[in-house]
Amino acid sequence: MKILLIIPAYNEQDNILKVCKTIEKYNEKNEQKVDYVVINDGSKDKTLEILQENKLNHINLINNLGIGGAVQTGYKYAYNNEYDIAIQFDGDGQHDINYVKNICEPILKGQADMCIGTRYLDKSKSEFQSTFMRRLGSNIISLFIKMTCHKQITDPTSGFRAGNKQVIKEFALDYPTEYPEPESTVCLLKSGYKVLEVPVSMNERTGGKSSIRLWKSVDYMIKVSLAIIIDSMNARKKVK
Amino acid sequence: MQLSLRIALIIATLIYLFFILRAIRRKKLQISLSVFWIFTAIALIISLAIPNFIEQISKWLGFEVTTNMIFCVTIFIAFYLIFSLMILISDLKRKNVKLIQEISILKKKVEDIESNMKL
Repeated sequence: MKILLIIPAYNEQDNILKVCKTIEKYNEKNEQKVDYVVINDGSKDKTLEILQENKLNHINLINNLGIGGAVQTGYKYAYNNEYDIAIQFDGDGQHDINYVKNICEPILKGQADMCIGTRYLDKSKSEFQSTFMRRLGSNIISLFIKMTCHKQITDPTSGFRAGNKQVIKEFALDYPTEYPEPESTVCLLKSGYKVLEVPVSMNERTGGKSSIRLWKSVDYMIKVSLAIIIDSMNARKKVK
Repeated sequence: MQLSLRIALIIATLIYLFFILRAIRRKKLQISLSVFWIFTAIALIISLAIPNFIEQISKWLGFEVTTNMIFCVTIFIAFYLIFSLMILISDLKRKNVKLIQEISILKKKVEDIESNMKL
């Protein structure tokens, strides 16, 4: 079983080494090893130098693509190298490596094609629940997904998600690069893939900036809602 | 419209047509895209050459003033142009993303092979 962590990184010079070290530590402790690939999305700081100096497995995008394009590069890499499971993992230390097991479990058991790590399912565990505004945004997007796909996804913007071989292929060929997390979920659901959620806890960002800023969030919400509706309209049913 | 103004406008349109054809000949503009510009130039020349042509059409369509019709048509054409350009840009963007991804993956492969050979 080959597992790949896709780590998109944009200006993450303070975090990226730490993140890779935790993965190496995880591999020492666990039998199921995980590979990782850092996608350097045209960072303007010293991220690339750090990746090269420490010989971390990385792909350096020759131009900035944004999170969606960076993650798709990871899926293409996973597809080319025939990985069985690909997991999106943030380069800013927000995600906890120890949940990789949990997030892979439904896929290994064949219960799901994609598994999303959700912040909101288990309230007691999570130290970082995120702000009110973010919750509100997530709820609205959830509502839209429920209306179009008839499936409850409590944390549609979570970047911590694992996909099996079919999902990797699907994403490598066609990935919504504009609003990747919610849109890709809708596309998969509409194509008849099984999507499950497992509770995870996330850490607060230790450095760097979140890609969603407050003043942009209204604009983001409108466009994501529109994207979900459009995606749900022209998604094709997969022959399974 | 006075004759002198009409002649001046026709000359201006001919110059415009000349520039379009020159751009096509120098391969600065794709032929498929240039069709639109040649047609606008021909339409302009025809409507200027026939006396009272535009005035008649605008009266027939029910515009109170001829200039209103001209503005209306121009804005419609401009909207269409902007829209088709946006489609073109989206298409280019998508292709660009794909190129960047594939080149970056290829570069990584080449670097991996090179470092393997050194060992």
